[in-house]
Amino acid sequence: MSIAQAEARELILEQPAGLWSDAFDRLKRNPSAILGGVLILTFVLTAIFAPWIAPHGPGEQVGSLSGNGIPPGDGHLFGLDKQGRDYFSRVVYGARLSLLVGVVSVGVGLSLGLLLGATAGYFGRWVDNLIMRAMDVVLSVPAFLLAIGLVTLLGRGLVQIMIAVGLTTVPIFARLLRGSILAQRESEYALAARSVGVPGRRLLLRHILPNSISPVIVQGTLTVATAIIEVAALSFVGLGPADPGLPEWGKMLADSASRLESGAHLVLFPGMAIVISTLGFNMIGDGLREAIDPKLRS
Amino acid sequence: MLKFVVRRLLQMIPILAILSVLLFLFIHSLPGGPAIALLGERATEEGIEQIEEDLGLNDPLPVQYTRYMKNVLQGDLGSSTRTRQPVVEELKQRFPATVELGLAAMLFAVVVGIPLGFIAAKRYLGVLDNTSLFLSLIGISFPVFFLALLLKYLFAIKLGWLPTIGRIDVTRGLDTPTNFYLLDAAMARDWEAFKDVLRHLVLPAIALGTIPLAIVTRITRAATLDVLNEDYVRTARAKGLDPSVVDRRHIMKNAMLPVVTIIGLQTGLLLTGAVLTETVFAWPGVGSWILDAIRNRDYAVLQGGILFFAVMVAVVNLLVDVSYAFLNPRIRLR
Repeated sequence: MSIAQAEARELILEQPAGLWSDAFDRLKRNPSAILGGVLILTFVLTAIFAPWIAPHGPGEQVGSLSGNGIPPGDGHLFGLDKQGRDYFSRVVYGARLSLLVGVVSVGVGLSLGLLLGATAGYFGRWVDNLIMRAMDVVLSVPAFLLAIGLVTLLGRGLVQIMIAVGLTTVPIFARLLRGSILAQRESEYALAARSVGVPGRRLLLRHILPNSISPVIVQGTLTVATAIIEVAALSFVGLGPADPGLPEWGKMLADSASRLESGAHLVLFPGMAIVISTLGFNMIGDGLREAIDPKLRS
Repeated sequence: MLKFVVRRLLQMIPILAILSVLLFLFIHSLPGGPAIALLGERATEEGIEQIEEDLGLNDPLPVQYTRYMKNVLQGDLGSSTRTRQPVVEELKQRFPATVELGLAAMLFAVVVGIPLGFIAAKRYLGVLDNTSLFLSLIGISFPVFFLALLLKYLFAIKLGWLPTIGRIDVTRGLDTPTNFYLLDAAMARDWEAFKDVLRHLVLPAIALGTIPLAIVTRITRAATLDVLNEDYVRTARAKGLDPSVVDRRHIMKNAMLPVVTIIGLQTGLLLTGAVLTETVFAWPGVGSWILDAIRNRDYAVLQGGILFFAVMVAVVNLLVDVSYAFLNPRIRLR
C-alpha cells in the first residue's frame, strides 16, 4: 500500500461525527442533563415496575378509614390516606398514569403539529398563511384555559384529557417545525437535491425533515413536563379523570388540599412526585437544547 | 407613535369580533347548560324548559348572538345566570382583585429576577450562575397549586405569620371605591388596613410570581450574556467609563428588550396561574370566577369574562410594543 493509499484509507475511516453522536457526547458532559436523565430513568422504571415496587395495590384498603389519613411510619413509608390505602403504593402507581399522560399528550400534539407545520412550511403561500393564522388564534388563548374548555367539551375520560392537553401543544410544534423547514428549504443541499431531480415528497421526507427536527425534539422533551403539570392542574380544579379510584397525583393533591393542617403528608408526597418527574424532563430538555445547538458544535 | 397605537387598536376590532363568535359557539356547545346546572339533580323537563325560555336560550344561535352583541356594544354584558348579578358589576369587583395580584406577582418576578439574572451573567459559569440556573429549573417544574399549598401550609398554618385566605380581614370595614384594595386603603389613609391587605397579598403573589421569576431570571441572564461581549461595551470600558455606568447604560438597557417581551408574554400565563392561585387562597378574582362559571355553565359570565381578558392581553401586548421604542430608539413604530 502506498503512502497516498494509506492516507486515503485513514480519511475514510475517520468518519465525521454525526449530529446526534456529537450531541450525545456533549450531553454526557453536562451534569445537569445527567441528573435529569437519572430522574427520568427513576420515573420510568417506577412506572414500569410499579406492581413490584408498591407493597399494596393502588385501591387496596389496608387500614381503617380516617378523616385525615395516618402520617408516615408504622410500616407505611408515606402513611395512609383517608380511605386507609397505602399512600406510597398510590404515589408509585401514579407514576404510570403521569408517564402515560405526558407521553401520549405530547404524542398527540407532536404528530398533529408536525403534520400542520410540515404542510405549512413546505407548501408556503396561502396554505402556510391559513395554517399559521389558525395557530395564532389558538395560541392567543392561554393553554390551561383552552385545556379546561376542551375537557369540559369532550368529557372527563382519561383519553379525552390526554387529547385535550395534546391539542393545546399543537401550535407550538407546528410553528417550530415550519420555521425550521423554511430555513432548510432554502439551503444549498436542498437546492442540490432539487437540481438532480429528487421528487418533492422525497425531498421533504428524507432530506428536509430530518434536518429540521432537532428543535422539535427539544421542545417535545420540555412539553412532557408541561403536560404532566397541566393534567395534574386539571385534576386540581376538578376536571381530571372522572374515575375517583385512579391514583392521579393532581387529584390526590386536590383531595387533601382542604386538610392541610392535619394531613400535610397527603399533599406533600404527590406534589413532590410531580416536581421530581417534571424537573427531570426540564433538565434533560435544557441539556439537549445546548447539546444540539449548531452554534456550539466543534 | 400615536398613529401606530391607533392603528393597532383598530386592528384589534376584527380579531375580537371573530373571537367573540368562536367563544359564543364554543360556550353554547358545552354539554349541559345553565338550566341543568341551576336545577341540579332535581331538574325536570318542564323546569329546564321554563328556565331556557326565560333566558332566551330557545332562540336560534344567530338571533341570540346578535341580541348579545347589541347589548355588549351598549356596555351591558348581561347577567350571571347563577347570582343574577350584572356581569359588569361583578367584573368591577373581581377584575381589580386579579390585577392587584398579577401586578404584585410580576413585581416580585421583576424585582428579584432581573438583578439575579444580571449578576448570574456577570459571574458566568460561577457558583452563583449555576445555582440560579438550577433554582430556576426547579421553579418552572413546580406546579403553581402545589407551591401555593406549600406556602400556605408553611407560612400561614404552621408559622402563622400570614393570613391563609382572602384579600382582607373580613371584620375590617374598608371603603373600596376602586376595588384595588391597596389603593383604597392608601386613599383612606388607613395604614392598618393597608398593612393588612399587603399581608394578604404576599403569599398568593409569591406563588403566582415564581414561574415568571424563573423565566425572567433566565431571559435576563441570556440577554445580558449576549450584550456583554458587544464591541460598544468594550469601547465604553476602554474609554474609562465608570463600570457601574457601563452596566446600567450600555448593558442593562440593551439587554432589557427580550426581557420586556417575555414580561408581556407572561400575561396569559399569569391568567392560567391566577385560576389555580385564586382557588388555593380563596382570592375573589377573575380566575376563580371563570372556573365557577364553567362549572355552572354561566354563559354570560364566561362570554364577558373571557372576552374582557382577551382585550387586556391585547392591550398589554400593545404596551410591550410601545415600550420597545422607548428602550431602543433604533426601533421606529410604524
